[in-house]
Amino acid sequence: MKRFGAFNIFSLIVGFSFLYIPIILLILFSFNESRLVTVWGGFSTKWYGELLQNQGIKDAAWVTIKVAFVSSTMATILGTIAGLVMTRFGNFKGRTLFSGMIYAPMVMPEVIIGLSTLLMFVALAIDRGIFTVTLAHITFSMCYVAVVVQSRMSSYDDSLTEAALDLGCTPFRTFMLITLPIILPAVVSGWLLSFTLSLDDLVIASFTSGPGSTTLPMKIYSMVRLGVTPEINAVSTILVGVVTLGVIAASLIGRRQKQQILKTQHT
Amino acid sequence: MSENIKVSPWLDSSHKPYIEIQNVTKRFGEFTAIDNLTLDIYKNEFFSLLGPSGCGKTTLLRMLAGFEKITDGKILLDGEDISEIPPHLRPINMMFQSYALFPHMTVEKNIAFGLKQDNLPANEINQRVEEMLELVELTDFANRKPNQLSGGQSQRVALARSLAKRPKLLLLDEPLGALDKRLREQTQFELMDIQEKLEVTFVIVTHDQEEAMTVSSRIGVMDSGNLVQVATPAEIYEAPINKDVADFIGDVNILKGIYKGQNEIGTQLLSEDSNSIVFATQDAGASVEDEMWFAIRPEKLEISRTKPSHNHNILKGKIEDIAYGGSFSTYHVKLDNGKILKAIRANRERTKEHHLTWDDEVYLQWAAHSAVVLLS
Repeated sequence: MKRFGAFNIFSLIVGFSFLYIPIILLILFSFNESRLVTVWGGFSTKWYGELLQNQGIKDAAWVTIKVAFVSSTMATILGTIAGLVMTRFGNFKGRTLFSGMIYAPMVMPEVIIGLSTLLMFVALAIDRGIFTVTLAHITFSMCYVAVVVQSRMSSYDDSLTEAALDLGCTPFRTFMLITLPIILPAVVSGWLLSFTLSLDDLVIASFTSGPGSTTLPMKIYSMVRLGVTPEINAVSTILVGVVTLGVIAASLIGRRQKQQILKTQHT
Repeated sequence: MSENIKVSPWLDSSHKPYIEIQNVTKRFGEFTAIDNLTLDIYKNEFFSLLGPSGCGKTTLLRMLAGFEKITDGKILLDGEDISEIPPHLRPINMMFQSYALFPHMTVEKNIAFGLKQDNLPANEINQRVEEMLELVELTDFANRKPNQLSGGQSQRVALARSLAKRPKLLLLDEPLGALDKRLREQTQFELMDIQEKLEVTFVIVTHDQEEAMTVSSRIGVMDSGNLVQVATPAEIYEAPINKDVADFIGDVNILKGIYKGQNEIGTQLLSEDSNSIVFATQDAGASVEDEMWFAIRPEKLEISRTKPSHNHNILKGKIEDIAYGGSFSTYHVKLDNGKILKAIRANRERTKEHHLTWDDEVYLQWAAHSAVVLLS
């Protein structure tokens, strides 16, 4: 193995420090006894206890979880269908346009997505609330699921589907019994990905939410404007924990699936 | 071959074909994969579609299975038009080239899959799965997953799965392509045994002419979307219809020349290569001075160092190369004009005894009835 030079190690440390020290500090200070965010006053979990008393944060957390759950589930269904269409239907007319439109939200600035969805809801006179936030989240997280599913489908042997049909299985049952179980790891990691995306979205939610549908990131943001409190540190720590778990789970599932593909290709 | 196939139903007009492919055409956009093809296949046949890659044989097979829509024409199975029936409703099963075993199911579940779709009672499914496992000798592997099987075992699971529903017709797409030579030869015989035992009609696609010769009742040689010749393996080998078929099936020497009419021996051809007259007993049906070819299989050429006493069907040359194959040797003999002919000689005595070696002057001769006259 090639050894790292001193310069490389130095830049690695500086880079990662820049990225992660703030988060580590945030987590550390969430266990701070003192009310001051910059002075260490001993270890305590009292701010987590305090959180449970804060109805505003609890409401926001509940809204966030509901939105994330519904939007990631819907995004997974739609994204999976899109991913399948991209791989199974070959070069249909308008394929480039279709794939472009699916992937556009990945590169589109969030502000633009938020603003345009807001304008649409206003034009359609839809009252903003949990429903509109969920719709907006489905729209932007669907493309991530589509990408994950499409990359799995590209190594899927079409003759598996044909074999099932050939053995008398209807097309729908074939999808449920053969295709879906085989691509399930990709679908699950797509779901986890869109769940975490929805969980920590601030911009789009700010545009599309209404009264009573404040999400956790929005709540944290508005609290920070009145000064950073240890409570914010605590709630952020929980959020970081959940997102990290989600991402790790998604990548573990992805890796297991890759190994499975390798294994089947070897035999 | 089972009893009723020995009578060659294709020669007897009272037999009704089991599968009738009638004027079938398949186009992919501008490309014509199958061009107005008509073919009858009889019950209990082991029919091979043979041809180079891209000749349309797999497309034809996939049309029988229902995976490709027919552009024009129709296909009848047992008198019923199946052209418009979707694949999952056809009483036809297919064994895929990649085997297509469901990776998330055990061997047992793979075999039971088709039966479950028919909602058969559980005990009947179990019984049939067991039968199939016994048939392919995989009873001990019932609970393995496909990635724990060797290539040969996977192949047998795929076969068992496609036979479990007792289809009227079994399609096999290059079934032995992924196996090594020894296993392939063994499996060929197993396939024939199973086909005989279950009395299922088999249609197999292969590019391996030896395989087709071994297993088939008849072979359909295909080229660019059409059937060039349909006949028994022996007929195809001994009486190919043109140069391409002769060349595709086995080794062959082809002599080009000018037709010089018939005499008491048979067809006379002025050979370009030896500038002498050669004969075949077969009637050419050509007119004098037409360009024509003789095909002679290497094993039908006799090679010797002494000049034969008669003086027709003899070519003189020099041994250019010898390929020693154990039971036989292949000699590459260079004629005076540079053309190389192949002759196979069975090694009935040890090679030391017959002294044929490189650069020897030799004579090639053949019986007039072993050459085939080809007009194209």
